[in-house]
Amino acid sequence: MSNDKFKYRVEIQQMMFVSGETGEPTAETTGIIEEIVRGQVIEMLQQCTNLASRRGSRSISTDDLIFLIRHDKAKVSRLRTYLSWKDVRKTAKDNDPSGGAGAPDPADLLDDAAAGIAGGAGPVQMRQKKAKIGLPWEVASFFSEQVPEREEDEDEDEVEANAATLQRLKNADERTRGMTRDEYVHWSECRQASFTFRKGKRFREWAGFGTVTDAKPNDDIVDILGFLTFEIVQTLTEEALKVKELEDQVLLESREKNKKRKREKFLFHAEEGRTPIEPRHVEEAFRRLQVPKPKSRAMRNFSGGVVKSKLTLV
Amino acid sequence: MNNNNLLPASWSRQPGTRDDATVLAERTRTNSIETGVDGGDKDDVVDPTTTAFRQRYDIFEKRIPMMFDTRRPCCAPPDLEFAALELNDDFSSANFNASGNSAADNARPPARKLDDDDYDFDDDEDEEDIKPKAPPPLPFKSASSLSQSSEPSSGNIIDAKKSAVATREKLEADRKAAEEAVKRALPSMFFTLENDRDAMLEQQKLEESDRQVNAESNAAQVNALGKLSSANLGASSLTLKHLIARIDAKREKVVVSDMELRNLMSEVRKNRSKWANEDKIGQEDLYEAAEKVVLELRALTEHSTAFLNKVNKREAPDYFNIIKHPMDLGTVMKKLKGHHYKSKKDFVDDLNLIWQNCLTYNAEPSHYLRKHAKAMQKATQNLIPLIPDIVIRDRAEVELEEAGALEVDAEGESDDEPIMSSRGRKAPGTKKTRKGARMEGTPEVKAPVVNLLRADSNPPGNDSQNSVGINGFPTPSGSTPIPNGLAHSISQMDIDHDRVDDDTHDVEYQTWKTLTKKARAKVASERHKLFRGNRLNSEEPALLRSRDDMGRFLGNEEKHARSAQDADDNNMQQGSGTGKLVDTEQTDIQELLPDYYDPLAAVPELPYGVSWYGEGDEVDLQDDDLRLAPKGLFTQPESGLSKRIDANIKQMQETRKLCSKIGVIKQMQVQTQMYSNQFTKYDPKEFVEADAEDFVISEEGPIMCATVARAALQRSVGKIFYHAGFEEFQPTAIDAVTDIAVDYFQKLSKTLMVYQEAPQHERKFEPEEMLLHALYENGADVESLDTYIKDDIDRLGSKLNGIHQRMKTHLTELLRPALQDVGGDGSRMFNDGSEQFVGGDFAEDIGDDFFGFKELGLDKEFGLSSLSVPLHLLQGRMHSTYQTQNTSAVALTDGYEPPPPFEPVTHELLEREIGLVRNFFLAKLHANNEEPLVEDENLPPKQRLPKPRLPPSGKILAPRKRPMHGQGGNSKKKKKPNPPAPPPPKAAPLTSKGVAMDRSLSKISEADGDGNGGMMSPESLVGGGG
Repeated sequence: MSNDKFKYRVEIQQMMFVSGETGEPTAETTGIIEEIVRGQVIEMLQQCTNLASRRGSRSISTDDLIFLIRHDKAKVSRLRTYLSWKDVRKTAKDNDPSGGAGAPDPADLLDDAAAGIAGGAGPVQMRQKKAKIGLPWEVASFFSEQVPEREEDEDEDEVEANAATLQRLKNADERTRGMTRDEYVHWSECRQASFTFRKGKRFREWAGFGTVTDAKPNDDIVDILGFLTFEIVQTLTEEALKVKELEDQVLLESREKNKKRKREKFLFHAEEGRTPIEPRHVEEAFRRLQVPKPKSRAMRNFSGGVVKSKLTLV
Repeated sequence: MNNNNLLPASWSRQPGTRDDATVLAERTRTNSIETGVDGGDKDDVVDPTTTAFRQRYDIFEKRIPMMFDTRRPCCAPPDLEFAALELNDDFSSANFNASGNSAADNARPPARKLDDDDYDFDDDEDEEDIKPKAPPPLPFKSASSLSQSSEPSSGNIIDAKKSAVATREKLEADRKAAEEAVKRALPSMFFTLENDRDAMLEQQKLEESDRQVNAESNAAQVNALGKLSSANLGASSLTLKHLIARIDAKREKVVVSDMELRNLMSEVRKNRSKWANEDKIGQEDLYEAAEKVVLELRALTEHSTAFLNKVNKREAPDYFNIIKHPMDLGTVMKKLKGHHYKSKKDFVDDLNLIWQNCLTYNAEPSHYLRKHAKAMQKATQNLIPLIPDIVIRDRAEVELEEAGALEVDAEGESDDEPIMSSRGRKAPGTKKTRKGARMEGTPEVKAPVVNLLRADSNPPGNDSQNSVGINGFPTPSGSTPIPNGLAHSISQMDIDHDRVDDDTHDVEYQTWKTLTKKARAKVASERHKLFRGNRLNSEEPALLRSRDDMGRFLGNEEKHARSAQDADDNNMQQGSGTGKLVDTEQTDIQELLPDYYDPLAAVPELPYGVSWYGEGDEVDLQDDDLRLAPKGLFTQPESGLSKRIDANIKQMQETRKLCSKIGVIKQMQVQTQMYSNQFTKYDPKEFVEADAEDFVISEEGPIMCATVARAALQRSVGKIFYHAGFEEFQPTAIDAVTDIAVDYFQKLSKTLMVYQEAPQHERKFEPEEMLLHALYENGADVESLDTYIKDDIDRLGSKLNGIHQRMKTHLTELLRPALQDVGGDGSRMFNDGSEQFVGGDFAEDIGDDFFGFKELGLDKEFGLSSLSVPLHLLQGRMHSTYQTQNTSAVALTDGYEPPPPFEPVTHELLEREIGLVRNFFLAKLHANNEEPLVEDENLPPKQRLPKPRLPPSGKILAPRKRPMHGQGGNSKKKKKPNPPAPPPPKAAPLTSKGVAMDRSLSKISEADGDGNGGMMSPESLVGGGG
């Protein structure tokens, strides 16, 4: 694998680690994941551009991007939380230069957002400042007048979405519980891995911004893409792990069947180390995620012809 | 054969004789009957065994109907007296004959099985010798005397004519009688479809031959496109000669053939036939009759088939060696059309030549064609008397004769007639003939057959004898009556036997056969076409039931339903009972066909709320089948979901109402000028689903109406649109979405159908599972539907509710800032109850009981329809326009005269002022260029001080700009109010309450300083002071 082609090996490795992969994935695996992610990003950009041109605008907006994933409500909710906290961080940093020593980093944002939701521990002031990201297809846009903000209206969507996020956090918590300090440091470093953070230019080149879309996407879009790419890697890794687990189970069963005599287990018998995810697992995971839903082909029923399925956004 | 099986055991007792063997042999024979007939049967003697057999046969024939079970009493077989039958078992021939006859005569079986001809043949052979002459049951014509007929024709022409006419009439009568008889006997007959195929084929051949003859003659005509005038157009040429000359001149351009032209001519001149010719005397009469004879012979398809066309050399290579003068009916027709016949004799000779040729060629006695030929011969003999004995002569010749012979004898008389007829007048005899022919109408084609059958006598006309003699026709039956069964006549042509009584049934059957031949052939050919090639031909016209057929069928059914004795009487009035279906004139040959010829008619009327009446296609619906369609078929059904959706929509409307109010208020804040019609009031109407208008249905099942259903779907789509937040939408959009929805639902139901209509053995799912599968295949599983309801309807509802609440608070905040911001001072101003707020319409605009006047019941107290604060009170600009009006209103309500307007301050006025203010005003006057000082309100608008503007919220958003600070001091001088005037309540710029308060204060000050004439208004004071 030439380094020229794959630029995000480390980041992807880190993301996979955060997503549950303990082993060291090969470069081939990360390469495949990178390709997949890139394909997804390009697809998203293309669809966004189409949407924008349909609106009559040349430049894509964040709404276009969120529109693509609108059906995944949990994801949208996470994204909104992410965006609003990013905003909070930004303003906080502006207002209080001493407080925000460093630039806001996305992983922390995620953590903070989750923390804020989880315990309500986030500072009240921060919450008040938290900008609501309104989306044009939401109920508020039904009306000609802007709906005034109001305190303590927790969106049910968010509650639901947060459930999934909380589950993720809980899992992460489980994993980090037994960690030593060094390990945790490594963990938190890994959590900061991003395709876009401080790599804006590299990302733009990598995703082919110039060729895919005319407009120059702004930082918000890049941030959203960074968030989404992380989600893609995470989903892929989780799915691939499931695939691998199944495979291992089948292997184990067949091995047990073949070997009549089971090796005895000793006290200090070294467990066989977990093998990392291999490209085939990733491929299978991707295939599973790409299986067209009946919904997408319902209108082609009874009309014959080949159903050409579009690339599904993970 | 049926009776073989039914033979009683006693049969075996009889010793087998030669005759028995013959009988049995005959029985098994099929086609070669004539051998036996011609051969040894002549010397048959009355054999007791045979007679016994005959008897048995009769008995068992009568029992046949018993085998056919019927529920109809009228059709039930009569009880046979078996005792009587047993009686016949003794072989006394005397007894036998009587009983046999009586059996045949008395008890005609109500339904008879008539089989092939074979059956009849051998049957006949057995009995022919035994049966004595018995009176025929049908009105047979008495045999015309042989002597009469054998008289030489050349004797008396008039007599011959008369006799011919009489014969014709008789034949006519006989035919009618036969038809009647057949009709009467029809219900008692049992028919088979076996002969239909033959009938069809024969009919087809006939038609083919027709075409051929026509084509040939036409071809000949076209080839020799002669002159019309030279062609014999008959008498018409006299009256139409100019037309004919014209046509002749342009003959090439006229594409029709001579024959067609002639037909046209004859149509133009009704009383002229196409045969008429000026120059040929007698041609018209002769040819007309001859043509009819040929047509009738041809129509005798049962026998005529072989003689229709020329004998083909391929079929019979040696034919032309034997037959020197071939002849056939087609050729005769051609010759007729070509006017080759000069006399009746020529014509008759040709006809007889045909049959004779056949008999000559097929010399073998058993040849099947012989019987046909003989049958045809008989038919010819019967028909020939119809032809007047005329020798066609040229007119010139006749006229010459006329001129020569002065005395008129019988012959001359007869000669006259043709002359007259050729001039357009017909001889009475011929006229009659033609009239008779015309009277025959449509069934005339079949008529001669009946004649043949019915005319049991020998041919009445002497011509036939004549011709027969000429042709050397070896007919030994010349002096014997002709047997009347057609089939029998064939078999017995050569043996002279009179056999009548037994064959009457067969005669009826034969008559029926010939009568209905064409109809049967038609039915059969229709069926044949439909099923040709052993498959259903979809291209062919379908067999349809017709009203008449059904009516007839019903009539027959009705007849059956009647009691047995009534049945006979009512036979002929079958149409009456079912008059609603059958037109009375519809009694044609079709009627003679039994019901099963038209199985479609037997399809009972559908129990449908429609009945047919009299004529036309009126359809009357009976009331009891009609009912109003139930309501609500095209509206949304009441369900939890629809209720929630409706509630959401209502909530949205409410919230939008709030939004519009907020919009109005925000607009007021921004805009300086307000117009009463500026804001269109948002007053959404509630969604009401209109049902389809009342309509009437008469059947069960879902109501299918594409347009209405689509409209309903469109409305639902529109509702969902609204529910999804679209306030309005383009019709094309709603159309497109409706189309997609239609498509989707079609696919959904199609999928469900695929599951439901799976073959039984492949059916794996319960109905519920089928539904789930169908849903899944179309991307709408229960889970997603549930999610939709939860997220997009329930949660939307709560969200909308929340938003509505927020909007409401927002609006309240916008409307009542004073309560929160201004504090007690301002708010108390409202409580003062200043009447200036009464009668305005500000709050009315936004539909709010802003001040709670209504709550207090003020509107009732004042009898006002609307209670609100006028907008101009809140809006500075409009203030002045309403000022005077308001003032006067206030004054009037207080009972005061309006105070006199303030006089402008001038030097003269200043004289009267106290010294303290004089200097002040002087300075003002000076500043005003010594012009009189005018009240602020009376200033020209340009110089007027800008009024303090107040947002509708009542909030004072920014400190008032005071351009008047410098300017006001310079340009205007105001009178100072009296010292006791209270100080301005605020240094701050005026609010609305401020204005109101000032106005109340001004009243006070006016009241106080009444004595001071030039009092200033507190406004000016404030304006100046501020």
